[in-house]
Amino acid sequence: MMADIIFIALAFLAISGAIAMIVYTNPMYSALGVLISMLSVAGMFALLNATFLFLVQIIVYAGAIMTLILFILMFLNIKEEDLPKEPKKFQLIALGAIIMIPLNILILKAVSKLPAKDFSISETDFGDIKPIGMQLYNNWLVAFELISILLLVALIGSVVLAKKRNSKVKNQGDNS
Amino acid sequence: MISLTTYAFVAMMLFSLGVIGVIARRNIFVIYMSIEMMLNGVNLFLVTFARYHFNMDPQVITVMVIAIAAAEAAIFLSVIILLYRSRKSLDTDVFNILKQGENS
Repeated sequence: MMADIIFIALAFLAISGAIAMIVYTNPMYSALGVLISMLSVAGMFALLNATFLFLVQIIVYAGAIMTLILFILMFLNIKEEDLPKEPKKFQLIALGAIIMIPLNILILKAVSKLPAKDFSISETDFGDIKPIGMQLYNNWLVAFELISILLLVALIGSVVLAKKRNSKVKNQGDNS
Repeated sequence: MISLTTYAFVAMMLFSLGVIGVIARRNIFVIYMSIEMMLNGVNLFLVTFARYHFNMDPQVITVMVIAIAAAEAAIFLSVIILLYRSRKSLDTDVFNILKQGENS
């Protein structure tokens, strides 16, 4: 019963955060909506027995990625008149909803046909850090190493991109 | 009351709202956050099915998706800073440097 109430609150917060992201013009408010949504999804991971992912979601998504976005938003110091004009925003939102409704109906129908199982919180060590580590270092070793190389490439790439230089792109931007 | 379908509903709502954000908005920050929202919806779906089948593999995939999202954040945000420096705008329609033909 308690889990039901928590689930309904988290679902409401997750969906309303996503709606706030789309509707607000100011990117700062959008980022805060996304932050609320991500924290709610972290709570759902906890309800689904994924304790390690609950921690990772809060630390990496809410702690690192969203903080980076908020930091860059403040760093760029965007004025209200620099924001792009979006006169047809709500028509396009309606169009996107019409595009997405068939996919939603299809997936929800397919999922509701599956046999029901008990989703209450179990007392096993399912989702703890140890079983995940066993899987990660035994069956998923190649993918794990490739991910570490990807992160290294991303690190070097962002350093190269942020370097100061006299490139063609900059000159073109000044001319236009 | 909590069942597979309710979790699937929330995950699909997050994914669909991400797609709608990519379609409807022109602010490049909001488009980036919409992509993150889509990844979040897929993560929720994966973790739901991990709990449903009592299988650990989807959670490992979710860890990898989160790692890729972190790498993507670093690159995407440095590209946004470069574009904002050269064009002084966040509008996706202004970023046509790679377009062939006419010189903007």
